[in-house]
Amino acid sequence: MQPTSSPASGSYAPAATSRRQVFRVRGLTKIYGEGTAQVRALDGVDLDLYEGELVVLLGPSGSGKTTLLNQLGGLDIPTAGELAYRDSDLTHATEAQLTNYRRNSVGFIFQFYNLIPSLTARENVGLITEIARDPMPPEEALAMVNLTPRMDHFPAQLSGGEQQRVAIARAIAKRPEVLLCDEPTGALDVRTGIVVLEALERANRELGTLTILITHNAVMAEMADRVIHFSDGRVLSEHRNATRAAPSTLRW
Amino acid sequence: MLPHLDRKLIRDLRRLKGQAAAVSLVMACGLAMLIMARSLISSLDGTRAEYYQTNHFAEIFASLRRAPNHLQEQLRAIPGVATVQTDLSSPVTLDLPGLGEPAGGMVRSLPDFGEPELNRLFLRRGRWLSPGARGEVLVGEAFALANQLNPGDSLTMLLHGRRQQFRIAGIVLSPEYIFESRPGAALPDNRTYGIFWMPYKEAATAFDLYGAFNHVAITLAPGANEQPVLKELDRLLLPYGGFGAFARKDHPSHIRVSDEIRVLSILSIGFPTVFLSVAAFMTNAVLTRLLSLQREQIAILKAFGFTNRQIVVHYLKFAFVMVVAGLVLGLCGGLFLGLKLVKMYELFFRFPDLQFTFDRPAVIVALGVGLAAVTVGVFGAVRRAAKLPPAEAMRPEPPASFRPAFVERAGFAHLFTHSFRIAIRNLERRPVQALFTVIGLSLATALLILPNTFKAGIASVLDFQWDVVQRQDINVGLIEPSSARTANEIAQLPGVISLEPARNAAVRIHFNGRNRQIGLRSLIPGGIHSRAVDKEGREIMPPPDGIILSAKLADVLGAKVGDQVTVESLEGKRRTVTVTLAGLAEDFTGIAAYMDLHTINRFLGEGDVITGASITLDLAKRAEFLEALKGIPRISYAVIKESLRKSFRDTTAQSMGLLQTIYLTFAVIVSFGVIYNNARISLAERSRELATLRVVGMTQREVGAVLVIELTILALIAVPAGLVLGTGFSTVIIHAVNTETVRLPLVFTPYTYSYAVIVVVIASTISALFVLRQLNKLDLIAALKAPE
Repeated sequence: MQPTSSPASGSYAPAATSRRQVFRVRGLTKIYGEGTAQVRALDGVDLDLYEGELVVLLGPSGSGKTTLLNQLGGLDIPTAGELAYRDSDLTHATEAQLTNYRRNSVGFIFQFYNLIPSLTARENVGLITEIARDPMPPEEALAMVNLTPRMDHFPAQLSGGEQQRVAIARAIAKRPEVLLCDEPTGALDVRTGIVVLEALERANRELGTLTILITHNAVMAEMADRVIHFSDGRVLSEHRNATRAAPSTLRW
Repeated sequence: MLPHLDRKLIRDLRRLKGQAAAVSLVMACGLAMLIMARSLISSLDGTRAEYYQTNHFAEIFASLRRAPNHLQEQLRAIPGVATVQTDLSSPVTLDLPGLGEPAGGMVRSLPDFGEPELNRLFLRRGRWLSPGARGEVLVGEAFALANQLNPGDSLTMLLHGRRQQFRIAGIVLSPEYIFESRPGAALPDNRTYGIFWMPYKEAATAFDLYGAFNHVAITLAPGANEQPVLKELDRLLLPYGGFGAFARKDHPSHIRVSDEIRVLSILSIGFPTVFLSVAAFMTNAVLTRLLSLQREQIAILKAFGFTNRQIVVHYLKFAFVMVVAGLVLGLCGGLFLGLKLVKMYELFFRFPDLQFTFDRPAVIVALGVGLAAVTVGVFGAVRRAAKLPPAEAMRPEPPASFRPAFVERAGFAHLFTHSFRIAIRNLERRPVQALFTVIGLSLATALLILPNTFKAGIASVLDFQWDVVQRQDINVGLIEPSSARTANEIAQLPGVISLEPARNAAVRIHFNGRNRQIGLRSLIPGGIHSRAVDKEGREIMPPPDGIILSAKLADVLGAKVGDQVTVESLEGKRRTVTVTLAGLAEDFTGIAAYMDLHTINRFLGEGDVITGASITLDLAKRAEFLEALKGIPRISYAVIKESLRKSFRDTTAQSMGLLQTIYLTFAVIVSFGVIYNNARISLAERSRELATLRVVGMTQREVGAVLVIELTILALIAVPAGLVLGTGFSTVIIHAVNTETVRLPLVFTPYTYSYAVIVVVIASTISALFVLRQLNKLDLIAALKAPE
């Protein structure tokens, strides 16, 4: 599946697309706390996300990017609004349904990798392929992130970039429908960060997985199909790139 | 306003209240036990000392057949003697309306005028004997209570075969009978045995001892040595049928109280030591792990300029809160249990006023021990955290180093699931922590063994005493040695199925310069009632020229089987004979010696006589038999095994049950505390990892499996180790409790072990369920953020 660039911009419902919709978000609101301590982390977000897209979510700290990601990933239940994944309604899902959703459909990549320190790279991936519905072999996933030679190393024996690539392999091994990445290069230097972004870009391109990437590094927007700017819990603006820049060309 | 650091303290405590409470509870158990036991010791010891002092309890005692009163002058002249008090002491038979069996007791004389110089009585109720009045007695409290006798009631006694009616003037206590029991009996039977005091003149007339005495009590001049006095006293009393003088430390009632104090002392060291070690250990674990979780917070405090000292003090406060809570709880618990147990001791020991004395030094010791335990824990943990440069500490901890576990390296890797791998690698990477958990769990298991071992030991003693050693239904005792024809007379009574004659005698056994005064008991070949049984449970019978001793007696004397021991008779012709120690009897109550009935009679040279008999009875004719027995004048007492067993169950067993319940409750609390705490800490330490597993799609059950597998592996190692450890503890403590009056056999039953295992399994399951419930509340979003 090759990425296509759409000329349409400024509209979040590209009518010309033949791709299937993955997420449909309407008026999504998330409120933490009560009374005067109330925080509106999400304040009426409308969004549609499609198969195979690489979407970069840009915005300052506290703008609600991570909160949105948590709702999309089934880690949290919104306060109000609609959130549909394919045909299922995530706003009213049970705990078991959410677990099942995360297990089969979502791949997470975190800023601090969150690998299981007591398992080797291969086992960290294997842990997930063991429970997933239609996984690829852990070795294949690790090969996609160029970690074949270091498969049997424990997290403590890997560099930060390598650990993050294990995390990516872990996320893609289950062939998820959606890949959610929260500041995946936040803890890495530029060179290592680019290697990690290359791995993500490759997974998106070769597997056609909807990939949502949170960052406050505007440079990364260049590698996206679509860039969404977030502020104060709302979508501020949105644009499409004519072409996706290769991660290796990025510098920050 | 509260300093902010203290607010943090309060909030941290609130967050960790479960764990802090577990530590405090375990500590409280140990402290409560320490305070309870020490306070009971000081209560018994203090009350007894005061009682002895106030009522002039004698230091040396001797019984004899009969000596003229003027011998007193010679006794007073013994160097080292301060006071001499002579009196009469004679067995008596009672006829109590409503009591089916014959009851007996001891009549003691009081001076006709004025108080005795030694062994003064304490008047509980009623009044003293009126000077010159006849037909009045004072009755010992234990007997009076058991038979519901009150001042003013009348009492029929058979004195020297003559029936006489007495009026009870008062109910009294005596320092000679703090433990009021038939001589030689292991368990008190206050219903059928009592002590009575009457004026000298009346007792002397009744027993035909006017102008004479048959008991003497002596106190020593300050600094006098008791050994030469005992020797001289024996020499002077020999012509008058002296039964051998003994010092206070060999006084039967005194021994009972001392033995109890000794048992308490052992328990007051043994149990709390184990409990407080567990508590210290838990405190250490909680704090070490808490501090490693607060690594970044400590770094931030340091970065802001707090000194290491301030940080150490902050965490010490945290620990002290737990100690103080434990101490307060332990203090309340110890006081409560102490007061309850004092009531129990009132059942056994007759003191004018058994005051509960709160042992303050014990509290100080308890506080010191508790503080020391946590301080060690805090310092170790805080030092490590404080040593870190702030910048380094603020960085998230690098992923821990792991390697395949030993079993995987050994080639079994393919057998394991990922959950299992996570569990075993975790254990292997932190062997010290795993070891600590194993030790904690083992201690918890071991603690559960101890109380049940006591229980099984006591049950076994009772079964042994009543079903193996003494299998008769009734023991009958005669007032004095009588012709064997008496046995025939008794055998003719209705309901008697079989009868075995008995000849018991007061003797002193000598070996290698050591000696013990005891009751020599007769055995008859082929006898089925009284038997001597060896360690293996086989019946042993002394050969015609041999003797069998209680294993404990042989131990006290230092004699081995095959040694020649000397038996000195303390009655009749007072002969001495040397016999071979032929065997050791495994008995658990008191110490005794056994010889063949005919050998005893030959040795004593008083012809073919008996002092009592044991009887198997047709229980349907019991009442008839007992009624008929009252008609035989020489009968002193009849002990019915079933009544003894019943009265034991009603009083002693219940009280011992209370004690065991206390120990068992404490042990259960500790097991729960240790296991719960361990599970909680694992959860706290691993929350990020576990939350990540949940986020990537594992179910609660799958994530729970990681923790449960770990806990199960640890329990599989710890529980067997704990059973071994508990067996060791019990062995040590039961051996330490081994006294001359009561010994407990080491009995380990499947019940004892399975009880411990089941409690640990239940505690583990509940803790695991709790942790699994906490897993549901795990903050998944937090796992995505930077580690805090």
